[in-house]
Order: sequence, then structure tokens, then C-alpha cells
Amino acid sequence: MTFLELSRVVFSYPRKMKPALTGIDLSLDKDGVTAIVGPNGSGKTTLTKLLIGVLRPTEGEVRLEGRPVEEYSLAEIGRRIGYVFQNPDLQLFCSTVAEEVGFGLANRGCEPAYVQEKVAFYLDYFELTAYRDVFPLYLSQGEKQRLAIAAVLANEPEFLILDEPTIGLDACRKKNLEDYLKKVARLGSGMILVSHDEPFVDKMAERVVTLANGRIQSDSGRKVNAAYEA
Amino acid sequence: MKLDPRTKMVMAICLSSLALLYDTPDRLLLLLAATVALLLLFRFNPGAVWGYLKPFLSLMLFLFVIQSIFSPGGAVLLAAGPVPLVTSQGLSTGASVVLRIMVVTASAMLFTTFSSRDFILGLVQWKVPYELAFMVAIAIRFLPVFRDEMINVVTAVQLRGVELKKVPWGKKTAMYRRLFFPIVFGAMLKAQQLAVAMEARGFRAYPRRTYLRRLDLRRADYMSMLLFLSATLTLMGADVMVK
Ligand SMILES: Nc1ncnc2c1ncn2[C@@H]1O[C@H](COP(=O)(O)OP(=O)(O)O)[C@@H](O)[C@H]1O
Ligand SMILES: [Mg+2]
Repeated sequence: MTFLELSRVVFSYPRKMKPALTGIDLSLDKDGVTAIVGPNGSGKTTLTKLLIGVLRPTEGEVRLEGRPVEEYSLAEIGRRIGYVFQNPDLQLFCSTVAEEVGFGLANRGCEPAYVQEKVAFYLDYFELTAYRDVFPLYLSQGEKQRLAIAAVLANEPEFLILDEPTIGLDACRKKNLEDYLKKVARLGSGMILVSHDEPFVDKMAERVVTLANGRIQSDSGRKVNAAYEA
Repeated sequence: MKLDPRTKMVMAICLSSLALLYDTPDRLLLLLAATVALLLLFRFNPGAVWGYLKPFLSLMLFLFVIQSIFSPGGAVLLAAGPVPLVTSQGLSTGASVVLRIMVVTASAMLFTTFSSRDFILGLVQWKVPYELAFMVAIAIRFLPVFRDEMINVVTAVQLRGVELKKVPWGKKTAMYRRLFFPIVFGAMLKAQQLAVAMEARGFRAYPRRTYLRRLDLRRADYMSMLLFLSATLTLMGADVMVK
């Protein structure tokens, strides 16, 4: 079933002549790993921001489960779709690393013991336990990236959108992220990966959508990727 | 009309000082008209003036209502039984507060009619240390950045599943209080990174800086400044005398 859908979407940033995106028609299923690739400035980030309702289309419509995205609040979307920003600095806002990871769960009113357990798990998996009491913006770029990803994953969203998630990660951490995302995908969560990292895309994606100049240049459609074969 | 940035600064300071001093809506309205006329004279388009004021609109409305209700005195215009709700004094206080904010915001817009580079140059020629002038210019430039930062954080918090718009007031303030420190600290950290980047490019490495251009105060500048300063002082003097 179609989960997210853009129809005839055009988007222009204010005070810009040329639209960042034009004539976008795209639908995404609830499961499956879709990669969005394309050169810098081709509109990948803009596209993902439209999907979560942070930006509103100038023309056309974006729908989540058939309902226009504007009918949901940002928080409603956020609880369902985990979004990792291209720049982790923009989404870290707590006083400590541990608080950052537990923020979503604690706000949903989960039991403190449960939150603790989850936080410990994600800190451990993303190798951040040593920094649990550190101010997030003091971390290195790669650590911030891992923290941003951990904080979003800890919310256990049904769908994930990651904007350039491998930037700043070393080979080993990239492998860990890859393994984790594959596990999440096998459990049935869909995701969008925006990435320049070709080997990463090859290993992860079942469908590749290429953007160029604000248009969809090609769409491979969903194919079998050996990574998800049993 | 092309005036020196320093002249415009003096004008903005005069207008804001008067706005702070005045407390009756009629005089504040005149002051606002004068400020807007000045902005139009500097080719500020009316749409942009409106664009600047618009974000403050709900705040102004809120202040207006609060001030109107909580400053009693004068004739009662609207009452709920024996309790006076809206009084003439209240309305006038409310209107004054709103107009005052508008004058200050509008005169601050004068600062956007020149580049930060000219601003620094002007201050330096008035013997303000370059570092200080630079800091002030950066601070002005950083205001929109800080606003964007706030928008980002508010978006990020909501995307983590918090209904900021729906949480009750008490909880909302607690949330803002919790986020305040990391945001301010984060902004400071970014400013610090900027400072390092500046030093890496030789900021303050040499005791004396040279400037490509010189700003010269012309007759029009001296005249305008004189006019504004004397008018402001006279008006202030008159105000104090009347009281
Ligand atoms: N906030 C913004 N304001 C104006 N233009 C923007 C903004 N963000 C991005 N753009 C422009 O929109 C186009 C697409 O940007 P983006 O979606 O970030 O591309 P990508 O993520 O593929 O590198 C670029 O030309 C960029 O300059
Ligand atoms: Mg991008």
C-alpha cells in the first residue's frame, strides 16, 4: 500500500526564481529501502522536507496514507516518520547525550525504567556510552551523526528518512549503521536514504530514484537486493 | 537620499529614545508616521516594512489586550456587571505599548538600509575600536541566524513527537526552560567557531588595519544629525517641562 505520495509537486524557496523541484510524482510503500541520489543542489533535501511537512509544496500535493500532509501536526508525523537531518547540529537540543536519546520516549510518557533500558541499548549500539553525560554539540562530527541517528531510531518510528547518513562516519561505523538499518528494514520498516555514497546505496537500496535539476531523472522501481534475501 | 550609516544610526537612536519617553497614543502615532516616512525616503518599500512588523503582530495584540484589561482608570467602556473590563485609560495604555514597539522595530529597520561593512567603517572612523564595531555588526548579522536556529530547534523538537502547540502552558514553559540552555550554549559555540575561523584568516593579527574606502560625512549628514538631535532634545525637554 502507498504510504507516502507526491503528486505533481512543484516547490520554490521564497525569493528564488527557479523552483527547487518541478513536476515530482513519486509514491513510496510502507516497506522497502529507497535511495534518493543526485548531484549537490538537485533538490534531494528539499524533497525529503516536503515529505515530512516541514516545507509545504508551492503546487501539487503530498499525502501520507492518503491524507494531505498538512492535516497532520509535525509531532504526529514525527512519531511515525523518523527524520535524520543532513546537519546533525540542527537536531540536537538536549543537555546531555543520554537525554537526547531518551527525549522522544520520555515525552511519550514511557516508564523511566523502560526509557533507561532503551537509552542504554542505543548508546551501546552506536558506541556512545562513554559520552552519555557530554553536551551533544561537543561531540565530533561523526559522533554527532551517530547520536542524531540513535535519537531518531530510539523513537522506533514506522518509517525512516535519513539525509546523507554516512557523512562523517568511518568505515567501521558505517558498517554498523548499515547492519542496523538492514535489520530495521527486514523487520518491515520502510526507509528513504539520501546519499552520495554509491557503495552504501548499492548495498542498501532496493529502489533508486535519481534527481537532477529538481526533476526525477530516473526511477529504478523496486528490485530485489541480495541483502534482504533470507 | 543617500546618507552615511552613522547619520542613520543617530536617527534610529533619536526615534527610539522618543518612543520610550512618550506614553500617549497620539504622539506615538505621529512618531510612527515620521519613522515610516523616513524609511520610505530611504527607498524601503512598504511591503518590506509590513513584512518586518508582521511576526510581532500576535505579540502586539496580546500586549494590547493585557494592557487594556489591567490598566484601570478613566471612563468605563465595557463592563461585566460591576467589574470594569475595558476603560479609556486601559485602551490608551494598550495602544501606546503597541505603538512604541512598532516605532522601535521600524527605526531598527534603518539599520538594514546599509551594509554591515559600512556600519563598521563608520564606527571605526568615529574611533570606536575595530573589534568592538565588528562585534556589534556580527551581532546584528547574527540575529536572523539566531531566529533560524530557534525555528530549527522548534521543528526538531516537534519531529521527535512533542506537540508543542498542544502541551499545556505550564509544561510548555518547563520545556522552553529546559531547551533554553542548550540553544544559547549551542549558539555561543557556533560564534566561537566563527571567531576561530576569523583568527585563522588573520583577524587581529596586525595591530593596524587599513581600509579600502573612507566614509565621509557630508553636509547633508551634518544637517540631518543636527536636526534630529536638536529636535529630539527639544521634544524631550518639552515633555519633561510639561510633566
Ligand atoms: N533555505 C533555502 N533557501 C533558498 N534556497 C535553498 C534553500 N535550501 C536549498 N535551496 C536551494 O534549493 C536547491 C536544492 O537544494 P537541496 O534540496 O538542499 O539539494 P541537495 O540536498 O540535493 O543537495 C539548491 O539550488 C539550493 O541552493
Ligand atoms: Mg542535501
